[in-house]
Amino acid sequence: MTDTESGLKEMMLRGLAGDAGAHAQLLGALGGHLRAYFARRLGPGAAETEDLVQETLLAIHLKRDTYDPRQPFTPWAYAIGRYKLLDHFRRRGVRKSVPLEDAGVLIAAETAEEGATRRDLAQLMSELPDRQRALIEDVKINGYSIEEAAGRQSMTPGAAKVAIHRALQRLARKVRS
Amino acid sequence: MKTDELVHTLAADTTSVAPRSLTPRLLLATAAAVVVWLALLIPIYGMPATAAPHGWFWMKNTYSLVLALVGLVAVVRLARPGGRVGWIAWIALAAVAALAMMAMRETMRAAPGEVVPLWLGQTWAICPVRILVVGAPMFVAAFWLLRRMAPTRPALAGAAAGFFAGAMGAATYGLYCQESAAAFVVVWYTLGIVICAGLGAGLGRWLLRW
Repeated sequence: MTDTESGLKEMMLRGLAGDAGAHAQLLGALGGHLRAYFARRLGPGAAETEDLVQETLLAIHLKRDTYDPRQPFTPWAYAIGRYKLLDHFRRRGVRKSVPLEDAGVLIAAETAEEGATRRDLAQLMSELPDRQRALIEDVKINGYSIEEAAGRQSMTPGAAKVAIHRALQRLARKVRS
Repeated sequence: MKTDELVHTLAADTTSVAPRSLTPRLLLATAAAVVVWLALLIPIYGMPATAAPHGWFWMKNTYSLVLALVGLVAVVRLARPGGRVGWIAWIALAAVAALAMMAMRETMRAAPGEVVPLWLGQTWAICPVRILVVGAPMFVAAFWLLRRMAPTRPALAGAAAGFFAGAMGAATYGLYCQESAAAFVVVWYTLGIVICAGLGAGLGRWLLRW
């Protein structure tokens, strides 16, 4: 399928070029792999797995400009997943090491079905400034395009894009605190 | 919120994004810091080349610049997820070893009463502090730029940033430093740089997480 190094890398490159469909496909595929990877490390049915998947996807999205297209993609994504897992243990005060495996384990592994989250991102989102929250809700839940969502807030599409991006950055910080 | 809703939201934030390069930004910030220091120091102490004995001037500055280069490569490598320092660290060790050998030769040639002045010079107590002070802007710049990257070893990345800043501080301060013994440089310059790296490691643990 597309879940190979070359398939993922191609989607990543298309996403970096601005292709939202490819980017969504990439994040969806990575979500499945990350979930399986975290579940293996945290133990089956661990409540934090889905939270960690979401946090990692947010990080992958926000830090995607640190991917060097001359390098293979999987090690980059694996390094972020492993970092988020280690960071999770550290924040919990758990002394636990995570073996540095070959990055291929991330995509060689099965994918896992989405589980329940413990932390609700929607809850964290309600702490965002009103306009940012309204934009995200319009795009996410009401299915508006950015242009339509911007119009509903009487913003220009450019300003709306910036506001959404800021909201996601803020969300990423909240997720860690 | 479900994860596929999150994916949907993130996809809505897709814009065309260029890979972020750290090297030119860091070099530019560092060059700016050196220029500002020179603008402050030249009116007070005159031009650098006339301020220090000649041959030793190059010994000191080559040493600092080699270490700075190693630091730069290390910072740039560690700035990205999965980055490692790699073999470049051996170059730094080789530079220290080479200078230590020069220092040993100096010591063996020195008369008994000259050995201690060789290693302590006139300024041993303030040299590491000055390296720290002169390197401070480079330190802030490197951290500032690293925060926009994604180091997966924050303490090590911070140490590399401190090492780079310390070595650049030493290279800049070295333009005016009056000491001329390899023995002095290998101890006190290295100490100043290592203190910067230690500070960087400590701060990196906190400031470079994401």
